[in-house]
Amino acid sequence: MSWSKLRVILHHLENALLVVLFIVVIGAANTQIVLRNLFESSISWIDPFLRITILWLALMGAMVATRERVHIAIDLFLRYLPYRWRIWIERLIHLISALVCGIVAYFSARLVWMEFSDATLAFASVPLWLCEGILPIAFSVMALRFLLQAFASSREMLDKDVLKQAAQEKAVT
Amino acid sequence: MTLVFTGLLSLLALMRMPLFIVIAAAACYGFYVQDVNLSVVGLEIYRITDTPLLLALPLFAFSGYLLSETRAPERLLSLTRAFFGWVPAGLPLVAFLTSAFFTAITGASGVTIVAVGALLYPALRQSGYTKDFSLGLVTSAGSLGLLLVPSMPLILYGIVVQQMDLPIQLELTDLFIAGIGPLLLMIAMLSVWSLWATRHQREATVPFSPRRVGAALWQARWELPLPVILLGGIYGGIVTLSEAAAMTAIYVLVIQVFLYRELPLRQLPRVVLNTCVMVGEILLILAVALAFTNVLINADIPTWLFEQVRGAIENRYVFLMLLNGLLLLLGALLDIFSATIIMVPLIVPVALSYGIDPVHLGIIFLANMQLGYFTPPVGMNLFIAGIRFKEPMTDIYRATWPFFLVLLAAVLLITYVPALSLFLLK
Repeated sequence: MSWSKLRVILHHLENALLVVLFIVVIGAANTQIVLRNLFESSISWIDPFLRITILWLALMGAMVATRERVHIAIDLFLRYLPYRWRIWIERLIHLISALVCGIVAYFSARLVWMEFSDATLAFASVPLWLCEGILPIAFSVMALRFLLQAFASSREMLDKDVLKQAAQEKAVT
Repeated sequence: MTLVFTGLLSLLALMRMPLFIVIAAAACYGFYVQDVNLSVVGLEIYRITDTPLLLALPLFAFSGYLLSETRAPERLLSLTRAFFGWVPAGLPLVAFLTSAFFTAITGASGVTIVAVGALLYPALRQSGYTKDFSLGLVTSAGSLGLLLVPSMPLILYGIVVQQMDLPIQLELTDLFIAGIGPLLLMIAMLSVWSLWATRHQREATVPFSPRRVGAALWQARWELPLPVILLGGIYGGIVTLSEAAAMTAIYVLVIQVFLYRELPLRQLPRVVLNTCVMVGEILLILAVALAFTNVLINADIPTWLFEQVRGAIENRYVFLMLLNGLLLLLGALLDIFSATIIMVPLIVPVALSYGIDPVHLGIIFLANMQLGYFTPPVGMNLFIAGIRFKEPMTDIYRATWPFFLVLLAAVLLITYVPALSLFLLK
């Protein structure tokens, strides 16, 4: 299987997981409301589950944002620079972003390892390290994506940029 | 060293380095310099799971995105028109009300201009309003409604303040009630201005017809319970904010997909993805900002800033005036969510010492941000309007500035007359 094919499959998997998780959140939150108001009972693990799932959704959303290059950023003068300069500055920024994500990934992996050794529970019988596990995963994936983007061909970087602009205009119409 | 690092990072931040990377880098560097184990960054990010309110953000954002993908904006417009279309300058009033409602429910992400403005603009032009007036109206109305529940910036302000270690407690419900007066003031001032500005181009008003109202009500029958679920739940205190968000999400999903059948089920994943990307970004910035705040506190920077401001400014009105200027600038440069997350923890303690109510401060903050959305030359909504209506930016600037001045006056009134925000409380 070629790399690009594998990448498409992985992207689909990532999207599917995100969508399923989101639907589960809506379902679980409403189940709790029904239980609480109609049956005057509740499932104790739903609330912590929801709070932790929101973190997972947020970090997975950020992974998708890295993939699609739609992070919130301030562009005060990059857009006025000639493309030739832009490309090199963007490469540099992607490289630094990869480094920062890598640092956060490494240190949160150590955190997860510590919790694993301590065997703390987050809620019910779910261990804390499992809930925190999304941190090193998400930041590693983002680091990898930033790294790949930093070394993408100029053409690819330009095209993506133009594509993004087109997508923005499309989103607006 | 720190100075060089800060300088370089700021430069990169202005050249489209993702904001969460900028803050994360600053946090890592800060902890490193302060000899704190960097695993703290992970721990701080994980700490956002301590905030049960956060659940409300993705759920409201989801409802908003879903609604803007269907013909709900059209139904909202015809409903408002049926009710208010008969008054002089009725269409501008309709435009303000519709935009405010829609912005509140979609969480203020510029989507109002796209979804509602696109319907209003041709309607205004057909009724005989000039191009400049219509364009300016639609662009400036696009951020109206930030102060109305369940707008996400309003909730986010509450969350950020509650995260802080303050001597007083902020009640979210108070914040929601406080937003009503200022919003009505803005709509009233804009309407009066519209009446005056269009005195020579009076539209033919449609007489009030119960049949039209009935038809519009019937069209919107499934959406009519929404305000009840939302407002009744939140203001009435029957359910919590997160519960209201969950109920809204499932209700909107069911009516749009199964009753109106305007959103095919296969489009749903895209709506979910858009929601998660937008909210994920906001929460991630919030999370790394929590870590960075600790760096600042370790370095005693909030205290230093506090003393500097207190030393330099005696008078509370001078402080408010400078605050207005600063927020206007920030609102034009930063998106509202990042601005809230970064600035609120720094501003609130200082403002409290001038005896400014945190609820009132929230309204001041958001009202300024609302203005920032269309402050030339970089306000986000100006660009969105430019793209959406395919007009050059200079035309957008020219069309928008009278509305800008009217809302600026409103924001100043809101800032210096606290009673406008607080009269419904206590």
